[in-house]
Amino acid sequence: MAPARIDDFHDMFENSPCGYITLQPNGRVQRVNKTLLGWTNRTADEMIGRRFSDFVNMAGRIYYETHIAPLLRMQGFFNEFAIEMVTASGEPVQMICNALEGRDAAGKPEFTRLAFLKATDRRRYERELLNARDVATVSLASERAASELREQFIAVLGHDLRNPLASISAGARIIGREAKTEKEHQVVAMLQTTVMRMAGLIDNVLDFARGRLGGGITLDRNNRERLEPVLHQVVDELRMSSPDRQIEEEYFIDRPVDCDRTRIGQLASNLIGNALTHGAANQPVRVRAETVDGQFKLTVANGGEPIPDVARAKLFEPFFRGDVRASRQGLGLGLHIASQIAKAHDGALAVTSTSEQTIFTFTMPLSGSNGTTPTPSE
Amino acid sequence: MSVIERNNVHSRGSGERAMVFAHGFGCDQNMWRYVAPAFEDEFRTILFDHVGAGGSDLTAYDKTRYATLDGYADDVVEIGNELGLKDAVFVGHSVSSMIGVLASQKAPDLFGKLVLVGPSARYIDDSDYVGGFSEKQIEELLQFLESNHMGWSAQMAPAIMGNPDRPELGAELTNSFCRTDPEIAKAFARVTFKSDNRADLAKVAVPTLILQCCDDIIASEEVGTFVHANITNSKMIILQATGHCPNLSAPDEVIDAMRTFV
Repeated sequence: MAPARIDDFHDMFENSPCGYITLQPNGRVQRVNKTLLGWTNRTADEMIGRRFSDFVNMAGRIYYETHIAPLLRMQGFFNEFAIEMVTASGEPVQMICNALEGRDAAGKPEFTRLAFLKATDRRRYERELLNARDVATVSLASERAASELREQFIAVLGHDLRNPLASISAGARIIGREAKTEKEHQVVAMLQTTVMRMAGLIDNVLDFARGRLGGGITLDRNNRERLEPVLHQVVDELRMSSPDRQIEEEYFIDRPVDCDRTRIGQLASNLIGNALTHGAANQPVRVRAETVDGQFKLTVANGGEPIPDVARAKLFEPFFRGDVRASRQGLGLGLHIASQIAKAHDGALAVTSTSEQTIFTFTMPLSGSNGTTPTPSE
Repeated sequence: MSVIERNNVHSRGSGERAMVFAHGFGCDQNMWRYVAPAFEDEFRTILFDHVGAGGSDLTAYDKTRYATLDGYADDVVEIGNELGLKDAVFVGHSVSSMIGVLASQKAPDLFGKLVLVGPSARYIDDSDYVGGFSEKQIEELLQFLESNHMGWSAQMAPAIMGNPDRPELGAELTNSFCRTDPEIAKAFARVTFKSDNRADLAKVAVPTLILQCCDDIIASEEVGTFVHANITNSKMIILQATGHCPNLSAPDEVIDAMRTFV
């Protein structure tokens, strides 16, 4: 009596959920189960006695001969290789295969057993992943190239914009010397103000672009020269451009400050410019710089309406612009760049704002992050 | 990095003359494990891995240098010079047959005899010439190679590559005999299957033995006969062995055939 099907090994071989092939040592098919015949739409007569590679696509044949057959000889098994069999009508069937070599006592190969799992979906998925990787690689490369081009463009643009601006400034100075009427003086002053504002905008745009493109803000630290004249010059320039406004300054810098003086000047200019734009016109802007408790501290205060809480949260983000009339609006980069300069100095930029006054406070350690002790200034 | 380390060169045996074994596309010098020992009594046997394969220094892989078989042939010459070889026997399997043909022209004194196992001077059909493959099939192979990474993983690579003094870290891993960086495998496949060395065969000046298998779909008898017909001083032996790797499947037959020649 035949065994019940559940115990029938022959049935398990023939109708297993995986395909089986046994090969002779010469690579010809000895036996093949029904499952594999079904997947490839072939008959046993068609396959037995023929080379296994006859039923595999060309890529698989080469791979079998150059990798699988040698590995079976060398290590006796080879698991998890992808291979594509071909149906009677020429359709590909993607498989994942394990193989082992049976050997006699002398180590001579007696047979090779192959077990196949149909893996059409998995292979398609893998193919899609590989394609996606290739696409990502290509687009990353082109993105990098574009970004490099952008960086160069911004550097060139910045350089080229600064030169004509310097000419306008020089021209305005010459005209200023010969200006006679009050009207002429006013126009010249307005020209100088505009030039300064544009120069500031260009600096900010260049810094922002550099930061975004990974260059960051670079520092040229110097603790030997005094910082006070730099700050004073910034205030003077802003006084010239806003002659109707009052700017008070107080300096208590009695220790050397290891900083990039141009950058700190830019930070001060951005903070004071911001105070002039947003502060009450009838109240002074107060600038105070001091060295205290191993720190350099710069505060810029103005009167007027307090900064709303909603706005305060976004104050240092790029392109944030407060509620001012259009003619006074900048790019919204000034405070962002100031905070970046602070960060580059291992310092911090903070703001407090009440109905009485708004104060921006910049603090940084007196000595640089490299830990060198600054030499006292003369 | 010396040439010896770069190509993972191993020298055994004690003979006066040297016998250099070069592996083909797919695996490494282990391909000769059943053949080379048979010659250790008479020859100094030299085994090595092509750069990119087996225990070679993967950091030495240079896309430009290895974009043609010439780069691999230059390596063979460098190994020969480093070891001071003269009048040696070169034994090349598969694509290394042509690497040997090129090397013997670059350094005429290096090899006195060539043994070419399963050689093909060109794999892709070309008008009247039958290589056995179409351009499209080779492109499919290159794509297919990406689906089989042979136990390679990016995480594992540094452990193997960074410890040349501790080869046991990589040696015992599954499939290690055929493992390589997928990008390098693809590049080597491209170089191998797109090579055309038909014009180089006539320049071979030394006695050459061609070992041809039955039923070899990589290098058919027709392809082997072409090599035989174009190397003046050559002899061809048709082996009983089937497939493309008689050095593994029928080592005794390969050894016997080689003995009649060397």
